[in-house]
Amino acid sequence: MKKFLSILGVLLILGCDPFVTEFKDLSDAIMYEADSKSNATYDSGTIKVVTWNIRFGIARFPFFGDSCGDDVILDDATIEENMVAIADALNAIDADIVLLQEVDVSSKRTGYMDQVQYLLDNTNLNYGCYASMWKADFIPSDGIGRIDAGNAILSKYELTDAERIQLRLRTDQDGLTQYFYLRRNIVKAKIPALAQGAKDFYAVDIHATAFATDDTKQQHIDKYVETLAEIHSSDDYFVTGGDLNSVPPGSVTDFCLSDMCDGDDYHTDQAEEPHKEGSYFENFPGEPDILVPLYEAYDAAIDSASYNLPEHFTHAPSTSLIDDTTATMYDRKLDYLFTNGTWGSGSERTHQAAWKLSDHLPVSAVLNFGGE
Amino acid sequence: MKKIIFYFIIASLVFGETKKWDAHSAYLLPQKRWEMGLFQPFRYGYSESIEYSVHPLWFFVMPNFSLKISQGDFAGFTSASQYKMVYPTPFLNMIAKEGIMGIIAPDFQMPPMLGLSASWLMSKTIFPFFSPYSLIGLDLTLKGGLDLGVTFGDLDTRSTIDIPLVYHRLGVYYNKWSIHTGLDIQKNLTQKFTVLFDLDLKLLPGLAEVQIDPDASKLMGEYSLEHKLLLIWNKSENFRVLTGYKFVMGEYPYGSDMRLLPYIPMAETWVPIIEFQWARQKR
Repeated sequence: MKKFLSILGVLLILGCDPFVTEFKDLSDAIMYEADSKSNATYDSGTIKVVTWNIRFGIARFPFFGDSCGDDVILDDATIEENMVAIADALNAIDADIVLLQEVDVSSKRTGYMDQVQYLLDNTNLNYGCYASMWKADFIPSDGIGRIDAGNAILSKYELTDAERIQLRLRTDQDGLTQYFYLRRNIVKAKIPALAQGAKDFYAVDIHATAFATDDTKQQHIDKYVETLAEIHSSDDYFVTGGDLNSVPPGSVTDFCLSDMCDGDDYHTDQAEEPHKEGSYFENFPGEPDILVPLYEAYDAAIDSASYNLPEHFTHAPSTSLIDDTTATMYDRKLDYLFTNGTWGSGSERTHQAAWKLSDHLPVSAVLNFGGE
Repeated sequence: MKKIIFYFIIASLVFGETKKWDAHSAYLLPQKRWEMGLFQPFRYGYSESIEYSVHPLWFFVMPNFSLKISQGDFAGFTSASQYKMVYPTPFLNMIAKEGIMGIIAPDFQMPPMLGLSASWLMSKTIFPFFSPYSLIGLDLTLKGGLDLGVTFGDLDTRSTIDIPLVYHRLGVYYNKWSIHTGLDIQKNLTQKFTVLFDLDLKLLPGLAEVQIDPDASKLMGEYSLEHKLLLIWNKSENFRVLTGYKFVMGEYPYGSDMRLLPYIPMAETWVPIIEFQWARQKR
């Protein structure tokens, strides 16, 4: 009887796991390893890094949440097909470190595929760490259902000390919406194999807020700058990047009309909201220059001379794609790579050929420890 | 159809044992007595051998009907058969929508679906040398049955609602059939207080998968184990209050999961079941 009651007690306690997972300011990231590892030995010299918001493997599917679409759940076969294509693209880029945003690990919308494990098992990457930005047993809205999506760092080399750094929640939402909403984060990991003498080597991945209309984005970038400054002031190296959901200084800041869906109304007196969430980049004073501290402090893969050139645009909403000839495949830059080392001259790439695989494009560069 | 009507007429001639407040058992309600609860269906003793029930609040969005027929004694047990019918389509289409309370993605239109269920219930008092109402006696009920999910159109497998209690109940429409079994034990603690222990197993046998990949473990398919423990205060023959918990564990499309219910998400806490039940004897 005692044994029965003990088992029952344990089950009842386990049955009280949070419905929506909230996170401490600092917590451990979830570690992954490929089922079978490829040989990867760092022989000093260069490290290739890529950042990519893979849009949870739904490619240009007209998802309701971030485009003018009204679909929610993609079929398993298409997700598998998209993930094969993403894995192929990553293998072609052949980066040592991959910084991913919008990766699903157990979500209804993507057939519960663990995309971190899938990419490790189908690329030349061996180790991974993952931090949820949206984890709930059930989101009772739009048929989203169960969700676990977040940021991941994948690497050919072992990752250690992986941390999930919580970013501030939006303050422009009511309590109920905020409870079920995203909890964005920075994920940071050490890569011992890439240490340079006494200097440790870190990879830092971020996905900043897209839709906040308050100063949340400023808070996210400030926390990001602070995280990078800590590494830099410890005299260690980092490579970092992600989807900052911010345009470069000097960019167009208002995409409301080009992103507008049928029936929407912006910039008029009758409009419910003056601007479209996620398409307007002057929500608070200083937002257009929000990335200046990063550009001033660190080496950017796409430097200030190039960041507003169309060949380095990394994003357009998926439904801006009308057809192959009139599509807007990319019309702004939201994805960035920085280091406190030095990117190899001419090594930077914005992989615009991958536009069919996500509504964001990969950006890669090669870190050159020689300082070339 | 004639055979079915004949069967019900014959069955109705078999007088069974009746009991109050025993919805889970093979005992039927006394004739002309009705019982209902906040979360329980309205039950009515039509005769000494037929009882029917409906969920009145759900009825308008999810038409449902249940019939319990006494089958007399069987292997020393009081026995009954129970038949349920439910038409969930209107309700499911109500929650297949955009925005808040869009439980099913609006991409999906749920086709007409009919849920049919047949169960066999057997009840007896263990320790027969004591009265059923003694403090030592235990009322035991064993049950089992088959569920069928009939769909009249394409049902997209992505439209499942993957949460405890709901997934396996609707799973019958995707799997076409399921099996359920369980036991209930009820014990009188005092004249006024009763405790009810309930364990139910539901299986969605994965026969299609077994044909592709023969493996005995897949035969069972996705399972759900539900357990309930209730303390019941019988204020009178016409009113009682129940409190306790429900525990659910099972296999879902995302893996195994368990949940203690009722659970309040925003408070992230379990709260006890509070159920009020009323009854009357119609003259």
